[in-house]
Parts: sequence; C-alpha cells; structure tokens
Amino acid sequence: MANGRLRRFLVLPSAAMALVLTACGTSGGSTGGGLGSGDLLVGVLAPFSGADANLGPAYYAACLAAAPAINNNGGVGGRHVTCQKFDTRGEPADAAPAANQMVASNSNLMAVVGCTSDEASAVAPIVDKAHIPMFCMTGQSEFNKTKLPYFHRLVPADIFDAYAMVGWVIYGPSHPAWNKVALVFGDDIGSQAFVQPATNALQHLGKTVKNFPIHLGASSFRTEVQSMLAFQPDVILTEALGSAGTYLGEVKELNSGQTIPFIGTSATIDPAWFKDVTSTISVNDVVQFYRGVDLGYTFSGTAYDEFKANLQVAASTFADAPKYGQRGSTLHLYDGIIMTALAMVATNSKDPTVYNPKIKEIANGTSGSTDVHTYKEGLDALHAGKSIRYIGAAGQNNFDQYNNSQSGYILVKYDAQGGEVKVASLTPEQTKKLSDAGGL
Amino acid sequence: MSLLVAAFGFGLVSMSVIALAAVGFTMQFGITNMINLAYGEVMITSAYLAYYVNQAGVSIWIAMLGGAAFGAVFSFLINRFVYAPFQRKGTALLGMVIVSLAVSLMISNAMLPIVGYFSAAYRERFSRLLHFGSLALTVNQIAIIVLAIGVMLAVHALLRYTRLGKAMRATAANPTLARNCGIPTQRVIDVVWLITGALCGLAGVVAALDSDSFTIANGAGFLITALAAAVLGGAGQPYGAMIGAVVIGLITELSAAVWAPDYKQVVAFGILVAVMLLRPQGLLAKRGALAAAG
Repeated sequence: MANGRLRRFLVLPSAAMALVLTACGTSGGSTGGGLGSGDLLVGVLAPFSGADANLGPAYYAACLAAAPAINNNGGVGGRHVTCQKFDTRGEPADAAPAANQMVASNSNLMAVVGCTSDEASAVAPIVDKAHIPMFCMTGQSEFNKTKLPYFHRLVPADIFDAYAMVGWVIYGPSHPAWNKVALVFGDDIGSQAFVQPATNALQHLGKTVKNFPIHLGASSFRTEVQSMLAFQPDVILTEALGSAGTYLGEVKELNSGQTIPFIGTSATIDPAWFKDVTSTISVNDVVQFYRGVDLGYTFSGTAYDEFKANLQVAASTFADAPKYGQRGSTLHLYDGIIMTALAMVATNSKDPTVYNPKIKEIANGTSGSTDVHTYKEGLDALHAGKSIRYIGAAGQNNFDQYNNSQSGYILVKYDAQGGEVKVASLTPEQTKKLSDAGGL
Repeated sequence: MSLLVAAFGFGLVSMSVIALAAVGFTMQFGITNMINLAYGEVMITSAYLAYYVNQAGVSIWIAMLGGAAFGAVFSFLINRFVYAPFQRKGTALLGMVIVSLAVSLMISNAMLPIVGYFSAAYRERFSRLLHFGSLALTVNQIAIIVLAIGVMLAVHALLRYTRLGKAMRATAANPTLARNCGIPTQRVIDVVWLITGALCGLAGVVAALDSDSFTIANGAGFLITALAAAVLGGAGQPYGAMIGAVVIGLITELSAAVWAPDYKQVVAFGILVAVMLLRPQGLLAKRGALAAAG
C-alpha cells in the first residue's frame, strides 16, 4: 500500500515534468521556414499584484497598443498578435513558476515583455532557454554584459539614470545651487544600485551627499524623514516606487508644510507614481518641486502618433491604457513588439532562433537600410525587398553586442496634468563628465 | 537627543495603530481558535470603503465608522461562509491557516481590479503640526493615539465588566464547558467576529490615514505587524497584544533613530525572535486565552 502510494507520488510529478519538458521543447522549436498559422502571443511577464502592481499595466498597455498596429495591417503573415498577462507578483519565487508555465503552455509565444528588476534575474534565463526574444525593463547592472542572446534591453542601466539625476543637480537650469544632496532609495539591492554611482559623481563634483535608505512598503517613514531633515538637504534624489507618496507627504508634514525639491529617476515618469505623490503633497508641489530624468523622447512624429492612437484603441480592453502615452517603458516595449513582428516577416520564420538576430538588425539598421516608423511602413519596405531600420515611438535604438540599447537623457518636469515637460538635454560632454566622476 | 525624542513620539503613533490591529487579531484567535491571515486584507478593504465614503464628502472621522462597520460585517460573513464550515468538518489548525491564506489572496486579487493599482489618500491626510519640545505630532496623530487608548479601555471594560465579556472569556477558556454552563457559545463567537471585525476595519482606516497614501498591496504589511505584536504579547491575549504593540511600535522608531533606519525591522523582529526563544508563550503567561494581564 505504502509502495503504491509512493509510486503514485513519483509517477504523477514525473508525468507532469515530461509534459512540461515536451512543451518546452516544442515552444519555438520548429526550424522550418514560414510564419505558420493561428494567433501569436506576446507574454507580459511582470508584477500585476503585490507591491509593484503598478508596473505590469504599463507593459500590458504597450502590448495592447502594438497588437492592433500589427493586426490591422494583416498581422504577422496573417497571424494575429494577442497579449496575455503572466503575474510575477514582483517576487522571484512567484516569477519563476509563472515564466515556466508561460513557456511550457504557449507554443505560439513570439516575444516576452516586462521582466522588471523584481524578477529579471529569475526569469530571463528561463525565457532565454526557451529561445523566446524578451524585452526587459530592468536597470540591473548584471545585464550590462549579459550572455543571454534572447535578452534585449531598450532602457539604460540604473547607473546611467543615477548620473542623469546628478546631471540635474549640476547642469539643470533655473534652480539655486544645490550643495547638499540626500539620496532616498529603497533598501533593497535593486534600488541601492543608484546610490554608489550618484554618491561618487556628486562627491567628485564637490557636493555633500548622504544616503537615507528606506524600507519600501512600510506604512510610515517619520523617523527616517526626521533624520533626513536634520541633514538639511537642498535637494532629494529618489525613486521609492510605491512609497514615494507616503515619504514625501511626511517630509512636507514634518518640514512645516514645505516640500523640498526632489529629483526622480526615469521610472518616476509614470501615471501611478504621479498619482501617488500628488495625492499626498498636491499637484502644485509636484509641478513646482519635482525634477526628473528621462530618455530623449519627442512624443511626436508618425510612429508616436500611431502609438497614441493605438493606446486609445487599447482602452476597450484596458481602460487605463491611454494614461501611458508618455511612459517610456510603454513606448519602448511597443517598439520591441513591432520590431519582433517585423523580424519575423523579414525572415519569413516563426522560429525565434531565426528571427531573434534580425531584431537587432532592424533596430540598428544596416548599410543602406530604409528608415521606417510604423509596422505598415516596415511591411511595405520589406515586401519591396528593402532592408529596414525601425525608428519607433520611442525613437532610435542602438543595441550593443549585449543587446543593450542606449540613448541620451533629457531633464524634465511634470505639468499639472501629469504630462512630461522637457526642460533641457544633457549633452554628450556633460554625460561623459558625469560618468567619469562616477567612475563605475 | 532631539531625534530620539521625536522618534519616541512617532513610536507612540505606530504603537497605537499596531495596537488597534493586534488586539482584534489576537481576540479572534483567542476565542475562535482561528489564525486569520486574511486580517490584513480585511483591514485594507475597509480602508478603501472609508476612502470612497470620504471621497463622497464625508469626514474621514465619520467614514471611519463605516470602515469599522464594513470590517465587522465582512469578517462575520467570511467566518460564516468560509471558516465555520471548515471548522465544523474538523479541519486542523494548520489547514485553517491555509484556508485563511487562500481567502487573503482571493480578497486582494478580487479587490485589485475594483480599486486599481493607483494609490489612494484621504482628504484629511494633512493636519496641523504641533510641537512639544522636540516632539512633533500632527493633530491627526494625536487623535489616533487618543482613539487607540479609548478603544483599548473599551476592550478592557468589555472583557472585565460585561456579561458578554465574561461569556467570551469562558468560551475562550473551554467552549464545551461554557456551552454546558448555558453560554450560547455559537452566538458568542458570532459576536466576537463582529467585534474583532470592527476593530480590524477601524485599524485599517487608521493605518491608511497614518501612512498618508495606500494601495491594496498594503494589506500584507498591516498583517505582519499585527501578527508580530500578537505573537510577542502571547497569542490570544488582548493585553499581551497591547504590550506587544508598545514594544514593536516604540522599538522600530527608536532603533531607526539611534541606529540605521534600514535595520529597524531587523531590530524589532530580532527582539520578537529573542522573546520567543526565551518565552515561547509570549510576554504574558498563558493563563488561558483572554486572561488578565499578569
């Protein structure tokens, strides 16, 4: 009896494992040409619940906007693109099973988007092993020289965000000299990645700087705030996703109703972050005291206009989608999906091992390639036998050998509606000075 | 020194919030033998109900009563339709913990599409800052401290001086004997879920008000501190939970002031572990659930 039960315990997981392995083996495992048939799937692998639940929707919106851009133009060789959420809860322990389940049960996966710093380390190897191109929204330095060929990063590493924030302190226009700088980031490893480069750069450039880590998600930070206020900073550098509203509200409360100027990372250009902070320190204070950094988006042009129109279409599935019109990650992931679809058409293959290298080629362009800005333009050019370079809603991409794409930073503010307002650009010379001062 | 005094003041606020949550949690366990891991989610759901009432123009101090009433009814219904059937089938304590964990996940995931992932804040989140030397507290914070003291006194009066309180203590000590003595234990348990649910709802609104802005994800954090205070004081002991709240509330803030803020949770939970090692039954000796302090 005991042996029978033991056998059942062993047989059932083994059978399940065999099914999973079979599915893994078949997902994208075909090596034949042709685009196949049936719907294609983009997996949005990101936190949709938990402390970072605000991140997933921005990426889902990107996919929902990209789908009609492709589907309304005949799809990928007639195959329609669909989007599905895979909730990582922002925890590696939940993310790894979600990623495994995603690749095991969907043989029609064409790309994966999302994979934030919360879970990228856990899920990127899984997705890579399944040979699915992924576009990850992580700034972790471990991916600066990644050896995962299916990994793509359209945003810079956190270290460059840190330098750009220091750029606001040093070169930003229309503010008094900021000599004492407080760094307020989460005490987790990912958030603290901003601290060392910012500290190095600020100190080398003659500023006094002090780190005030906070435990993200705590219900109050009063003692931390009091300690920070005792330092009497001129400006605060922060991100504090999910806790910024509480922290900055308590700063204002304990600083006799006065908000201290604060500079946010590119991740703070986000409707959820804007809502969180304005709900505690008021819209006026955010407009007056917030400074941010972002990649140099123009929020204009053919590609952006189509992206914006498709975000409106996406509202029928996800009502908040139009709010992500100026969210950098939404723009980038939209472009990532379009580039993947174009790569499939260009190679006439549903096999990721074939079309994955083409993504980089389409992003960077090759000698004599034609610039295209939409999926339709890309299709037309490909059908005309041309090679293409896709310059999308977020602008140009420049993948390096590690599939990291990087572009210049701009200094921004918010308007009262939560829209981004460009204040200045960091020149290449300024950026070089900052990274030299940072020394990392 | 001034930071230490300020941290002491903040500790008073934290301990008040924790006490409101922890007393309800521990009473639930003491009388119904249920470690309700959905407690934090009921707290945050009640906070959201008060938020919608508050957004309709009602003062948060009145909306708070709505949150408490909602917490009472919601907790009662969860027990009636989920926990009680399992308990009647004789599900073991560990099984009930898993059931409550499932309920917790169901509530948070069901709430997410309703309330969204954007944070919310009450209209009265800001109030005047009053200084007492180095100690600085807002009017809201002082009101929270006064409210917590009032509720603790009310719980004390309920348990010590009312027939219901005596019936609750008898049910907690030995339900079979209590039933044989003519105490309607099932009705007592129903009332306990209503009372502790009201405390849970009230604590949720107070915690949300205290943290300026909140999201549905905050429920888990609320549960952890309530659970820690309840365990530290002695599971099932309301007076122990009060002491646990004082210890955790004050130590987290004071350790942040004298040491590094990023270690304040480490210090608080380190003390919890140390107490559990030396005194597994918690700070108050287990003389029977809901026994008097001592």
